Amino acid sequence: MLKVEKLESGYGPMQVLWGPNLQAEAGAITSILGPNGAGKSTLLWTILGGVTARRGKVVFEGNDVTELPAHRKVDLGITLVPEGKHLFKEMTVYENLVMGAYRKEALAEKEKTLDLIYSLFPILAERRNQKSGTLSGGQQQMVTIGRSLMTKPKLIMMDEPSQGLAPKLIMEIFETVERLKEEVGLTILLVEQNAAASLDAADYVYVMHEGTIKAEGTPEVIKASDEIREAYLGI
Amino acid sequence: MMRPVRAYYPILPVLIGYGILFGIGQMVPGKWQLISQLAFFCALGQAFNLFMGMTGYVDFGYVAFLGVGTYGMAVSIYYLFDKGLGLTMIVIGMILAAVFSTLLSLAVGAVALRLRGAYFAIATIGVNEGFRFLIEGARIWNGSDGMIFSRHMKTAFGRETAMALSMKWADVIVFGVAFLAAVMTLLYMRNKVGYALTALREDEDAAKVMGINVTRYKLIAFITSAILAGLLGASAWALKLTYVYPTDVFAIHYTVEAIIIVLLGGAGTLLGPIVGGLIYGVSKYYLAIVLPGFQLMIFAPIIIMIIVLFPEGTVGILKKRVFGTPLEKFII
Repeated sequence: MLKVEKLESGYGPMQVLWGPNLQAEAGAITSILGPNGAGKSTLLWTILGGVTARRGKVVFEGNDVTELPAHRKVDLGITLVPEGKHLFKEMTVYENLVMGAYRKEALAEKEKTLDLIYSLFPILAERRNQKSGTLSGGQQQMVTIGRSLMTKPKLIMMDEPSQGLAPKLIMEIFETVERLKEEVGLTILLVEQNAAASLDAADYVYVMHEGTIKAEGTPEVIKASDEIREAYLGI
Repeated sequence: MMRPVRAYYPILPVLIGYGILFGIGQMVPGKWQLISQLAFFCALGQAFNLFMGMTGYVDFGYVAFLGVGTYGMAVSIYYLFDKGLGLTMIVIGMILAAVFSTLLSLAVGAVALRLRGAYFAIATIGVNEGFRFLIEGARIWNGSDGMIFSRHMKTAFGRETAMALSMKWADVIVFGVAFLAAVMTLLYMRNKVGYALTALREDEDAAKVMGINVTRYKLIAFITSAILAGLLGASAWALKLTYVYPTDVFAIHYTVEAIIIVLLGGAGTLLGPIVGGLIYGVSKYYLAIVLPGFQLMIFAPIIIMIIVLFPEGTVGILKKRVFGTPLEKFII
């Protein structure tokens, strides 16, 4: 579904991505692991178009979409759950979710998507009229994921969804990610520092370091390689 | 998407507010000068708020839009006065003001709107200075000698009409610009534009992943706000004063006044700039009488106090108070 070829990007004089190649198969969870500063977030933002690609290609459903700005990519069905909880804190849970249904196509299916989100996260239905800033960290993360689902994506990229959460909540978030794959049929590109949980959930894994892909394979292959685990994952 | 009429009720207090102001000015002798000043501050705040309040970006070069607008009207009268166009010249002046401010806002916006927060503010801070030096240095439109066109107006319109234009009709246009700015603000608030602007003001990254073309909406708000400023310059400065000097119209303190007005009233609210404009205008007027020369020294601590104690401004607080009461649908 998504193919990244020799993508290069960065900020000003600082180049971050040095031509990683990767693919996200339709209906699968593809996980990108790697230490801080490996360029994982930059990779996601470059795929979306929030950071401009300097060289290389982003191919989505067979079309070259490298040059498209972020809002056009969202139109095509790509979205990103940004790192840290980018919520509209003064708005209620419901208002936050509805803000996600900004596009016409998304707005037409608003009620259906809301039902889906409330079934994935029943607590959000209960708290729908609460200001999102007053929610717990885990619940805020649910709202952020829910708001991205409101755009009716085919591919959802998640940047560190378990960051800063308690172990029990981390489990819940990963369960949700798997449900998104199995029940909603979404393609998921997951960036994580939590290697153990990520390896359990993923169908395919890339290990990223210093802006390039250092290793790839099924979770079993990655887990079996002592070299990769020690050098990049610390597990 | 059509909205119910009641979504547009907040325009009523705006209309009533400006109506009362205009009425006082017409009926109480000797107060027109003050009233026209107040209308100017309200219009300035309202136009500035359309961009700053709705996007959260602070444009320190804002006065440049008023400046080029002033030149738009000046150029029209200065160069066309003997063509027998009559009052069409005023219309051409207003159009030129809108065109000049649009062009400048496109140029500034294309560069500066790529920056966020403080970087945007710093990038815009030099715009008005730069434009002033350009006009003076390149001697565009008489450079630093300015353009004085009271004689041109008298020749074109006759003494009586020329006097009426600058003494009265210029101020009436200012009222019109103020009201137009309020209408535009409410229209944006109630439509997809406002929705996108709210999202990007709260969190630009979140807005992007929701599929909002943030650049486009920032530019829409920026240009609209700039055009209103241009029209304000053309009426409140060019037509009213009948001269224009680059040092007068590219003075940064007007931008600062706009910021003060918007913060006093409540950034991002519809009624805020009117309340802010009135408070600022009235206190400036009376402070100038009681303590001449000390206004800015007094305003500085007041602004700091507002930001610390009431960051949502007068109308922001009022909005919370009336929440759940019948007044709710009139105050935004």
